[in-house]
Amino acid sequence: MSLAQLDLKASIRTAVLEVFDTMLSMELTDLEDSRDITENGNRIVGTVSLAGDVLGNVNLHVGEAFARCLTAGMLGMALEEVDSEEEIHDVIGELSNMIGGNLKSKLCDAGLPCDLSIPSITSGRDFHIESKGWALNERLVFGHAEHVAMIQAFIKPGV
Amino acid sequence: MSLKVLTVDDSKTIRMIVKKAFRTYDCTLSEGENGVEGLALAAKERPDLIILDITMPVMTGVEMLAKMKTEPALKDIPVIMLTAEAGKENVMKIVQMGVKDYVVKPFKPEQLIERVSKLFTLQEKPEEAPKEDEARKYFNLNGDVPVLTIPSKVLRPTIVETETALKAKVGEMKSAGMKKMILDLSKVSETNVSLIKLIIAAMDLCQGGGIQVRTVATPGLEKELKEFQETSSVAIFPNQEAAMAAFA
Repeated sequence: MSLAQLDLKASIRTAVLEVFDTMLSMELTDLEDSRDITENGNRIVGTVSLAGDVLGNVNLHVGEAFARCLTAGMLGMALEEVDSEEEIHDVIGELSNMIGGNLKSKLCDAGLPCDLSIPSITSGRDFHIESKGWALNERLVFGHAEHVAMIQAFIKPGV
Repeated sequence: MSLKVLTVDDSKTIRMIVKKAFRTYDCTLSEGENGVEGLALAAKERPDLIILDITMPVMTGVEMLAKMKTEPALKDIPVIMLTAEAGKENVMKIVQMGVKDYVVKPFKPEQLIERVSKLFTLQEKPEEAPKEDEARKYFNLNGDVPVLTIPSKVLRPTIVETETALKAKVGEMKSAGMKKMILDLSKVSETNVSLIKLIIAAMDLCQGGGIQVRTVATPGLEKELKEFQETSSVAIFPNQEAAMAAFA
């Protein structure tokens, strides 16, 4: 299979819904709009990269309030018990790792072998992740209660 | 004998989820953050089972597994891979390296337990009797009435500890025919969901034991408790003397 035949949007959507449902028992809804995800606070982005026959990045963006909510859910804690930035970053990193791992598996099974990086975290209020020069570029927005999560996936053939 | 399990994953979140999965079983868990730590712990602890991530910094799970297979003392320890990478080639590779099974992330704790149960008979952990000191540290007496004093800030571990202590105390009180208890919240400085859960659990346990409870709290906390549906109808007394006087 070539990259052009890959339905990146469907692959990412399936991965996100499965990860949130399995790990957090959380049902996400698709949002068509591009609402502000910062929820009047920091934005936290978990990133994993792909390298091999395919190069790519998968970024999971959530606002700080949603990140705390996800951390409480993953660690089985009450929301007010989440007081460590390290825990929040680890949870967002692990969620992005699972979503990226799912995409990597699909690419490898389609004859496009690649390796997955360990996750990294970016957090702040005002930044932009550049998405130029990729063959495929998808952006999906999901909602849960008052929270919003955004996934960006960029891929292109490896050299 | 307790099953010794070593979990090796760079994510603290995953290590916590694995530990929680085994919480109700008679297991001893140790944990490492990468393959190097995992190898050192495997050599030291000689675990019965290793649950191993693949993508980790310093040394990957695949590299750790390869090194284990060259060590006579470690090569036969069963390994279950826990990985976000479920591609066929990846799975074939780790199966050929001799792993017993693999679990794909995302996973539910019960899926992991199910895989482990194929290799070992997991024994339920015997319910631990609370240590006497732990069980008593929240209690004192006002006359002949036990007083359960809740600390300033209630977090999740406090609920578990207090409930365990309270269960033991309710059992003692039933045996001794004691029917009154004071729940003293006057030291509480922060109202949160854990506190509300604890109050409800205490009320339920005492009611189940036929014990009357009188609750003491500051006016500020009383006002906050009224705002929670679950505690809105709890009668609050300003101090222990007033609570004692209110017992029928």
